[in-house]
Parts: sequence; structure tokens; C-alpha cells
Amino acid sequence: MVSLRFVAKRLLLLVPVLFGVATLVFAILHLSPGNPARVIAGNRASEEFVRQIERELGLDDPIWVQYGRFLADAAQLEFGESYTIQRDTAVREILRNKLPVTLELAIYGQLIGILLGLPLGILSAIKQDTLTDHLTRVGALSGISVPIFWSGPLAILLFAQFLGWFPTSGRINSQAFSIEPITGVITLDTFVRGVEATLSNGFAVSDFAPFFSAVEHMVLPAATIGIYSMALISRMMRSSMLEVIRQDYIRTARAKGQGAKITLMKHGLRNALIPVVTVIGIQFGTLLGGAVLTETVFGIGGIGTLLVQAIEVGDYPVVQGTVLTFAFLFTLVNLGVDITYSYLDPRIQQ
Amino acid sequence: MSAETETGTRAGRDRGLLGRVRASPFLSELLSNRLALVGLSIILVVVTVAVYARAFVDFETITRVQFGANPPRAAPGWMALFGTETQAAGLLHYPFGTDGQARDILPRVLYGAWYAMLYGTITVGISTVAGVGLGTLAAYYGDVTDNVVMRTMDVLLAFPSLLLALALVAIFPDDLGLWRAVAALTLVYTPRFARVIRGAALAVLEDEYVDATVALGARDPRVLVRHVLPNCLAPITVQSTLNFGLAIIDLAALSFLGFGAAAGTPSWGLMLSNGVERGLLTGEWWWSFFPGFFLAVTVLGFNLLGDGMRDALDPRMREAID
Repeated sequence: MVSLRFVAKRLLLLVPVLFGVATLVFAILHLSPGNPARVIAGNRASEEFVRQIERELGLDDPIWVQYGRFLADAAQLEFGESYTIQRDTAVREILRNKLPVTLELAIYGQLIGILLGLPLGILSAIKQDTLTDHLTRVGALSGISVPIFWSGPLAILLFAQFLGWFPTSGRINSQAFSIEPITGVITLDTFVRGVEATLSNGFAVSDFAPFFSAVEHMVLPAATIGIYSMALISRMMRSSMLEVIRQDYIRTARAKGQGAKITLMKHGLRNALIPVVTVIGIQFGTLLGGAVLTETVFGIGGIGTLLVQAIEVGDYPVVQGTVLTFAFLFTLVNLGVDITYSYLDPRIQQ
Repeated sequence: MSAETETGTRAGRDRGLLGRVRASPFLSELLSNRLALVGLSIILVVVTVAVYARAFVDFETITRVQFGANPPRAAPGWMALFGTETQAAGLLHYPFGTDGQARDILPRVLYGAWYAMLYGTITVGISTVAGVGLGTLAAYYGDVTDNVVMRTMDVLLAFPSLLLALALVAIFPDDLGLWRAVAALTLVYTPRFARVIRGAALAVLEDEYVDATVALGARDPRVLVRHVLPNCLAPITVQSTLNFGLAIIDLAALSFLGFGAAAGTPSWGLMLSNGVERGLLTGEWWWSFFPGFFLAVTVLGFNLLGDGMRDALDPRMREAID
């Protein structure tokens, strides 16, 4: 059982980290060259107009006043309004639209990674030093060595351009379908719309056409991230499983006459999974970084492409909001991992 | 284990190089690992290519737009074998094709090795030194120093690495080119080194010989430099090797996203970016394929070697093999 005390303690420990994170983001943006007021006003605006914008934004206040205001806003997840990308739109609003896109991609990628990586890692460990093991290991090592911004384009060339199995970019065939977003997770939204149409007019395959289009668009980007994640997970699973197999309790179970398969599943797998859970959590951060690159390669407008664009044009509130959101998400996932870990291995709590 | 290595090398000193290698369980283990040797060979080849390109490839020529001298977007000459129309003069002409600026891609890819190795070494080198410094200080002095250093590292570790690098890149002016990617990544990697080295140093500090040295009146710097650091070398080396592959990927990733190498520079990440942006949908695959291939193989080399080193270091693995 996970004690409430443990969870409360972990949550409390988050506060200084998040405070530090916010301070760092504030510092980064204030160290960046370029005047945000100038970015808003444009290059040809008069010096006077720039001053006026500075006053409106409070950029002429002393730095500690700005810092205090920034912390207070950040605590309420209030990041101000975009300067240039979507002028005068609240950053929170922009993030709300873009975040589901990135999360959808990252989660499908993670799922592919887990579903393929765990069995491969177990197989590799059970068949240690056989051809299967060698192939899996080299495959996994290659998987983490190949950058996403190379495997993605290769996938597009092979499966989209040459074989024509999948579309090259985007999230849905936007010329054929326009979908009113519900959650922003396009595969879910299109499916729900399909079900709605079925309920009101009876089933027709065409109701689900947008859903199929969305799935079709998701395959290549999700697989690109997924293969990377699979490689990491299978490596970890293999070494963890190998370590567990050598433990005394496995030998004891076998000595009592328990079959190899049952021992492996009942005693081996359960214990071997513990460190793997941590890796899955930690690499979620890598996955988010991977999502930035994947979005760029596949032309998907998520939070990653938003960040790149915002840095390019100097849209500071958007950069601030995006980076803080990413850090917040990452920290939350790690907290979740810690709690899961302590559930799987109660010794951690002491 | 450290004591074992110590006596091993001391005994080896009288036996020449080969004897020394045999006496060191780490090295003999590493050298009997075929995959690690493959990795080492790959790295040696890449280093050779890098040095060759730096010495013999004319930087000016491969950076400049080459209209007139070469046809733009020409398919590799050997593709004629597969019935593809190519503007190359013979089968061996433009083996990697040419890009949109009519530049021959082969010498650019070769030169990219120099960029990857040079900037990779600098990035990993600085973060190793900084991480080792911070990690050993935190471990040795403990208390407040430890808390201040490690909590700061925690904050840096709270960001997904590529995203922190992206945000940090914004601090530095554009004209720094790849150097701003180096600076940003150094800040991103330092905490990882600090954490690993702190752990290793804490373990070493438990050892009795450290107490003995202190009892003999050695001052802090002497204890740290002569006793703690040498015994942390193994984890430092493994971490650096594994991080090297990552650094090469991340440097290329920042260039790919437009926050690294300046336009025209023959860096693998930038070439890939141009190839994907302008050559992918028109089917000019060679433009992005070759830089990416060299990048992936180089990274694979470092990962193979790093993996082998880690296995060789892990006493449990050695036990299992013995």
C-alpha cells in the first residue's frame, strides 16, 4: 500500500523544484536578447510607441516586481497573451488547443513502445546469448542510435512516397473532412463523432471515414516515436530480467518444483518490471522532446512546433507557457512514477 | 573493485602494455566484447574521416553555392544502374548526389564528421569537467554544499532535455551558430554527470583508505584529486561515452530545428533539415539520407562502446561470465 504520508511528502518536495523551474524560465527569458515590446510593435514602429507598449506590459517595472508578478501568474497557470503567433490570444487558450495534439502523439508512441518493447526484452533475456538475443540487442541499440529526424523522413519516403500506404503529413485529410474538436485528441474526436452519427442516423461506414483518415495519419509519426521508445524499454527489460533470474528466490521456486514458465511469470516478471516502470517514466521526457522533432518532420501542429516557432519569432509569453507546461507535465509524470514504484516495491517508502 | 584494479595495474606496470591490458579486468573484459570492438572501430573510422576532411576538403568550396560547377539536385551517378535518370557524368560521379545549391554532398558529409566530433567533444568535455567538479564537491562537503548543488541540478533535470536546450538556445545571439547549441547542451548535460559522479564519489568516500589519508593529514584538494577522482574514473568514462552519442544527436537535432549551425555549414543536422524540407516530397532522397546515415552510424559506434564499457565495469556481469 502506498501511504498517504509518502504521497504528501513527494508532493511537498515538488514545490521547491517547481519554484526553481519557474525562476529558471524567468531568468532565461530575461537574459534573451531582444526587446519584447519591439517584437510586438514591429521594426518600423517609433521609439515612443515601443516605450508605450513597455509601460502597458509592465516591462519598465523593476526586475523583482516583474519576477513577483511572473511567479504569481505562473502559480495560477496564467501566462499572458501571445505577442505575435496568435496575437492577443491567451497563451493558456493556445496551449489548450495544442497540448492534446502532442499528448496524443506521445501516448500512442509510448503504447507502441511498451507493447513491443516489454515482450522483446523478456524474450531477449530468456534466450540470453542466442541469435534471437543478439539480434534483439543490436536492433534495440540501433533503435536508440537512429535519430527521429532521420527515421521519420525515411518512413515518409518508403511508406508514403514510394509505397503510398500512408499520407505524408498532417493529422487528417483536411480537404475532405472538417472536424469540430471535442477533446482535441483527433482519433478520439472523430470516433465520437462517428458514433454520434451512427446513433442518430443508423450505421454507415462513411460516418467513420474521418476516423480512419485520422488513424491513417497517426501511424507513421506514432511508429517513429514508438520504435525509439521500444528500443529503450526492451533494453531495460532485458537487463532487469537477467538480474532477477539470478536471484535466490527464483532458484528456490525452481527447486520446489515449480515450472520454468510459471516461475518466470510469477516471480521473475513481477520483480523485473519494477525498474522498467522508472525507465518508462523518465523516457516520457525524451518522448516529449521526440514529439517536437516528430511534429516538425510530419507537419503536425502541436505544442512542439509551437515552441520552435515561438522561439524563432521571440514570442516570449508563448515560450514561457510552453516550457513551463512541459516541465510541469514531466515533473507530474515523474511523481506518478515514484508513487507507482513505491507501490510495486514497498521498501522504497522507508 | 577499485582496490582490485589498483593492484592489477601496479602488477601490470612491469609487464608492458599487453600484460597491463591482461591484468586489468576492465580492459580485458572490454576487449573480449565483440560489439564493443565494433563500436570502437566505427569511432576510429569516423575520427579518421573527420581529420581527413579537415585537412584535405576545401571548406570554402563545399560551403559556397555551386551553380555552374555542378548540376543542382543531381541523383547519385550509380543510380543509373537502376534506370534512374541522373545528371552525373559517370557511375562514380557524385556518389551521394548534389543538393539544391548544386553542392556535391559527399565532401559535405565527410566534413560533417569533423563537426560532429569537434563539437561533440567540446560539449561532452565541458559538461564532464563541470559535472565532475560539482559532483565531487557535493559529495565531499555534504550538508549545505550538497543541498545547494544537487537541488539546482534537480531543477535542471526537471525539464525534458531537448526542450531545456531549446529554451536555453534562445539566450544566445544567432551569430554564435553551433556554439550556442554547445553552450545550451553543456548546461543540460552537466546535472547528469554531477548526479552520477556524486554517487560514485560518495561510495569512494566510504572506503577506509580515504579515512587513512585524512588521518595522515592530507588536505581536501589532495584527497579529492589523488584519491577520490582516480577511483571515480570508471563511471565518468562510461557516462561520457554514452553521452557522446547523445550529444551528437542533440547537436544535430538543434541544427535540424534551426537553432544550431549557420546556413550553408556542412553539419549533418543542417544537411538533413534542408534535405527533408526541400528534397523529401520531390523524392530526392539522397539529400537527407546520407547525412542521416553517417549520423546514425557514428552514434551507434558510441553506444556500442559505451554499452560494452558498462558491462565490463559491472562486477555482477563479470561474475556471471567467469
